[in-house]
Amino acid sequence: MSTTAQHKVVDSRGSFCPGPITDLFKAYRNSQLGDIIELLATDPAAKADVTAWAQKSGNELMDMIEEQGYLRIIVKITKKRS
Amino acid sequence: MQRVVVIGSGDGGTFTANLLALELRDEIRGGLASVQLIGEHLKHPFQPGNLDVAFKGASPDKYVKDETDLLRKEVEFIQDPAVRIDLQGRSVTTKSGRTLDYNFLVIATGAVADPSKVPGLSDGALNFHTGAVDSQRIWESIKSFQGGTIVVAIAGTPHKCPPSPNEAAFMLDEYFHKRGIREKVNIKFLTPYPRPYPAEKISRVVEPLFKERGIDVSTFFNVDAVDPAAKKIYSLEGEVVQYDMLIAIPPHHGADVIINSGIGDEDGYVPTDRGTMRVEGQEGVYAIGDATNIPVSKSGVVAHLQSVVVAHNIVSEINKTAEFLEYNGRINCPMEVGSHRAIFVSATYTSPPTDQTPSVVKYLMKRSFAMIYWRALNGSLERIFDGFFGQTRFPLQIENKEVKSVVGAEAAAGKAGQGR
Repeated sequence: MSTTAQHKVVDSRGSFCPGPITDLFKAYRNSQLGDIIELLATDPAAKADVTAWAQKSGNELMDMIEEQGYLRIIVKITKKRS
Repeated sequence: MQRVVVIGSGDGGTFTANLLALELRDEIRGGLASVQLIGEHLKHPFQPGNLDVAFKGASPDKYVKDETDLLRKEVEFIQDPAVRIDLQGRSVTTKSGRTLDYNFLVIATGAVADPSKVPGLSDGALNFHTGAVDSQRIWESIKSFQGGTIVVAIAGTPHKCPPSPNEAAFMLDEYFHKRGIREKVNIKFLTPYPRPYPAEKISRVVEPLFKERGIDVSTFFNVDAVDPAAKKIYSLEGEVVQYDMLIAIPPHHGADVIINSGIGDEDGYVPTDRGTMRVEGQEGVYAIGDATNIPVSKSGVVAHLQSVVVAHNIVSEINKTAEFLEYNGRINCPMEVGSHRAIFVSATYTSPPTDQTPSVVKYLMKRSFAMIYWRALNGSLERIFDGFFGQTRFPLQIENKEVKSVVGAEAAAGKAGQGR
């Protein structure tokens, strides 16, 4: 089994709550510690939802970038039950 | 001869077949068209009734009828499940080996609730999403429950009937109040979402009611596994919750025929245009309801409203009128909140759910729908529904859409120019 960290882009643009956070959870379910998930979202609620999830779960919110018309949210998986 | 094959005899498939039979009755009688409905079961359940079976002890018999009694006589019902869909060869193969060719196909194969997708869930949890028999097990269990912790958990998304987990918690609260042992029962609600209901405005109604009734909520709880022996449920985030009884909404996926035919996404849902309901990249092939990958509620109302669009579009293609409709994403999910009150979770693709106040009128409307469901399947209540739901579809702006039709391509092109 590979232990190399993966970088996955999850494109939830055009999807509204709970679409982006649900898409993030799907990627989280398939991730390993150290993986990076980059969530692209047009739903403004994604900002607060992902921030709250990262704080509660102990995963690392690395960056949140306002792109032209969408958010780019970068999360590092640092907490996951193994 | 225009052959229309509908796969799946649930709400959407049954209703679409009946609408097509109604619209094409002259062609069918004249031997110019046929409508064949492929289904697995002779019995047709009213699935929302499972909540009443599980939490009110209702008899499942109250919520089931024979499929053949629900179909117009012009529909040929084939009780022989589809096992293979060949989109290139335009045919469907059934379990018995029969092959049905089609000009138009409607995929209404639904979603499958599958507890086996989470380790320990099949043995450790009860559920009301896999049918009336399993729903009855919940009723038998809560009847003999004398006290302790009951956990209601959402173990996968998307799932059928988005309000149903919340309703389950409300109904448990009500049931144990009636039995006079509510103070001995701790009800916990575990959800992967940031709040008790995913839509914020609906959550504003649910959250204070949960608080008032002593229903504890844990958010951001993505179920990872269940240990039935230790009676513990674990989240991916590392939380663990002890339970005496676990009622879980299982993860869902698309139907086996979709997965085995290689025409679904990674979860077995059919990639579908959210407006026209056409299967992406296919001509004359449509999908509706829980079978699609469209991010709207997996519910009977959605399947019903999409059926109207699909039946209209198929008839338009057959009649070469090029007058197509698009579904606007309208959802309407009733949520019972106890004390004989309910709210409606209503939205479209462009309008999120609005503020709601629980009311007795909405509760009565929800209850009455269980009675009119059977009549709704034959299309005789469409005027009432149109009045209630308001706008649920609009004419396709064909100057912005590529319109390809099996029999109506020239007509569509004539009206739309070169399409997109």
